[in-house]
Amino acid sequence: MSKFKDKDVLLNVRDLRIDGFSDETWVPIIKGVDLTLHRGEVMGLIGESGAGKSTIGAAAMGYARDGTRFSSGSIEFDGMELSTATEAERRALRGSRIAYVAQSAAASFNPAHKLIDQHTEAPVHYRIKKRMESQEDAMTLYERLRLPNPSEIGFRYPHQVSGGQLQRAMTAMAMSCRPDLIIFDEPTTALDVTTQIEVLAAIRDIVDQFQTAAIYITHDLAVEAQMADTIKVLLKGEEVEEQSTEKMLDDPQEDYTKSLWAVRSFQRPQKQRPSDGSAPLISVKNIDAAYTGGVKVLDDVSFDIYPGMTVAVVGESGSGKSTTARVITGLLPPSQGEIFFKGQPLPPGYKDRTREQLRQAQMIYQMADTALNPKVKICDIIGRPAEFYSGLSGPALKQRVDELLDLIELDPAKYYNRYPPELSGGQKQRIGIARALAAQPEFIICDEVTSALDQLVAEGILRLLDRLQKDLGLAYMFITHDLATVRSIADEVVVMQNGKVVEQGPKDVMFTPPHHAYTDLLLSSVPEMDPNWLTTLLEERGVDNIGEAATQ
Amino acid sequence: MTFALGYYVALIASSCAAAFYEKRSLFMMLFSLTLISFVVGIVGGEGALRFIATSAGLLALAAGVSYAFKEFLVQISRPSLAKELKTAPLTAAFGMFVIFTYAVAGIFAPWIAPYGESEIVTSAFAQRDENLLLGADQLGRDVFSRIVYGARNSVGLALLATCLAVIIGALSGLLAAVKGGWFDNLMGRTADVIMSVPSLIFALLMLSIFGTALWVIVIIVAVIYSPRVFRLTRAVAGNIVVMDYIEAAKLRGEGDWHLIRKEILPNSTAPLIAEFGLEFCFVFLLIAGLSFLGLGIQPPTADWGSMVRENATLISFGDITPLIPAGAIALLTVAVNFVVDWMLFRSSGLKEV
Repeated sequence: MSKFKDKDVLLNVRDLRIDGFSDETWVPIIKGVDLTLHRGEVMGLIGESGAGKSTIGAAAMGYARDGTRFSSGSIEFDGMELSTATEAERRALRGSRIAYVAQSAAASFNPAHKLIDQHTEAPVHYRIKKRMESQEDAMTLYERLRLPNPSEIGFRYPHQVSGGQLQRAMTAMAMSCRPDLIIFDEPTTALDVTTQIEVLAAIRDIVDQFQTAAIYITHDLAVEAQMADTIKVLLKGEEVEEQSTEKMLDDPQEDYTKSLWAVRSFQRPQKQRPSDGSAPLISVKNIDAAYTGGVKVLDDVSFDIYPGMTVAVVGESGSGKSTTARVITGLLPPSQGEIFFKGQPLPPGYKDRTREQLRQAQMIYQMADTALNPKVKICDIIGRPAEFYSGLSGPALKQRVDELLDLIELDPAKYYNRYPPELSGGQKQRIGIARALAAQPEFIICDEVTSALDQLVAEGILRLLDRLQKDLGLAYMFITHDLATVRSIADEVVVMQNGKVVEQGPKDVMFTPPHHAYTDLLLSSVPEMDPNWLTTLLEERGVDNIGEAATQ
Repeated sequence: MTFALGYYVALIASSCAAAFYEKRSLFMMLFSLTLISFVVGIVGGEGALRFIATSAGLLALAAGVSYAFKEFLVQISRPSLAKELKTAPLTAAFGMFVIFTYAVAGIFAPWIAPYGESEIVTSAFAQRDENLLLGADQLGRDVFSRIVYGARNSVGLALLATCLAVIIGALSGLLAAVKGGWFDNLMGRTADVIMSVPSLIFALLMLSIFGTALWVIVIIVAVIYSPRVFRLTRAVAGNIVVMDYIEAAKLRGEGDWHLIRKEILPNSTAPLIAEFGLEFCFVFLLIAGLSFLGLGIQPPTADWGSMVRENATLISFGDITPLIPAGAIALLTVAVNFVVDWMLFRSSGLKEV
């Protein structure tokens, strides 16, 4: 805090209260938050979903999102009171003096216009720069953000540019009017670790160079540690604590903050393959697969999963992890190779498999929202597989559903008759697990089950999965891009890149050097809780050797 | 003279009151009406002012009835439904009220109508009096009784045809979305073929081939209108079949019928109900048109479309009798559209959840 003088206060939020409209009444969602941001300071907002991070971020622009309203408090931006300013006054600030970088750049760029046209829109509109001048400035910014071909990339359409580049182009766009304040709303959450790192480095550099103040919103502590000077922890619309980054990491004061910090500590003992030579539960042998008419997505993929073990499949998006799962379940018949279940070959398509074969392999999905039918009651969602496979009905079925709800630690009396939209994300994911368990399988595919969840909730799910594995002897194929998850739950690791298995083996071997080059890149790209991690890494690898550049 | 004076006094007093209580839009409306009335009063005299006052009164009456009816519905329905109804705009409530009235008229026609539907009670084209509320038609039958019975026949037939159309369209749409491949293509092209022929011409053609029995009309109209339902259902279901829960059900080994009934249908009911209302209007108009052309419901059965045709000559004598069944058709169509608009608005997610 000492490095910023009090007279340089840029944004001063006092006792901010915001109401949200739900069930025809206004309920408070931000309950009195104070925030002081100095020029050149980067403040990190951190908290679970629903903590009000994004709402506060929008409020810093004087913007109340749809269905919300300011109820009291003041937002003072550079001497100007935003909560009472007229819409025209506030609009004049946005884009020119306050800029916003959204989570999904792909969804935020207009796909019908070239990047540079969208970049120059704000400066031309505010008459800050002439169009050509602004274009040249864009190229300079692209260069500073280390985008490839800075003089040419702006003339592409958003779909012609990769996700990480798009996110950097968006940061450049936010910079186009040299704003005093930029709000980053989870800019790297949707990116792979290897891509995330280049975006982080670029954002940090440019914020430093122009002495821009920033509010950095994320739920990932390790990322926050790299970016922020001060960190503010939020919980349910209230501030838990605020500290400078070093202090916050070393010595958190509040219990809630400590629990956030402790999330990554969960680790269970690693299991070894059975040594008696028994057949693997699932054996994937030399699988090639392609979507209709397309190029090969999987190329000679083979690995084994033994009973009661967890095999983590890791890799960037597009590496073929989920496709492998689709091949195993039979949704995508392989063009070559076979899947063996306990030594017996499985028919390639799910339609040719027997009910018994289908029962043995269940799936848990990433997005619990789309994985549960919103118009079906919980008891029917869980009850249907039990009814379908075991022929249970009446009281026996009800008892089975109650058992399953107990297993996933939800109170049967309370949740039996609910519908999925009434549940929270973590609860929905638990229902998804219960549905898989209802079939009494020996093998479950977990497709990114924790990546859409908050860290605390995700940890609860991991612990639950671990307990179920112990109790029921399940084998998991755990698809993830999050190496922290792998570290905590996996027994064996399969690393995939471009549809090929790059390296595989027991976890302890995989996490100790020497690695395959790609594994090494993946491992070293995972942010750590050390605030100097990014700086050290950049020094080691060199700024031009991170992200996409390093994967080629 | 007193009327005009009272009229202006009332308008100016109410606009002052609106201004005093800071009801901005109400004030603007009332006061601009006052200004317009000055012009209209000078040009059209007291008659024009009376006309304005009557229309405003009718509008207010309709709004009042709709409001009361909405409150009534809110009171008698389940809590979850009542919550939805509370958000309904007045137009939707008005639509529901009209539909309710028509339903009552149709169901209790024999008790409401003073005479039988084909009973000849007086001379042709008898004037209106207290026994014949709307006069008599070209055969001396009571027009009011025929309107009431017409509600039963025309609306009932249209309802039947719409139900059939929605069932055919929805089922084939759901099947096409689930099965995909050649079946999807076959159904899609069949729908294109049916839709490519203008509906009225197609119906006339079919009716002249198969005759004009009631069940033939129902089936033909249903077939003509099912492709629209098919298209909508297929599009809606197409978005649902890619969901993970459908994949989960498929991997469980569930059959197509289970997928359609338990997984897809509950998620597509809202647009289907809205489509039902919309289709109902089209079907109703088509049947009325067919009747008007003499190929629909056959005499002596009372039917609004044929009533318009039978009494059409009266128009040249300045008699509004043929406009009454036409008005009944228009009112019902507008009412159904009001309700459907509201439902579409709800299901399209235009409002925040």
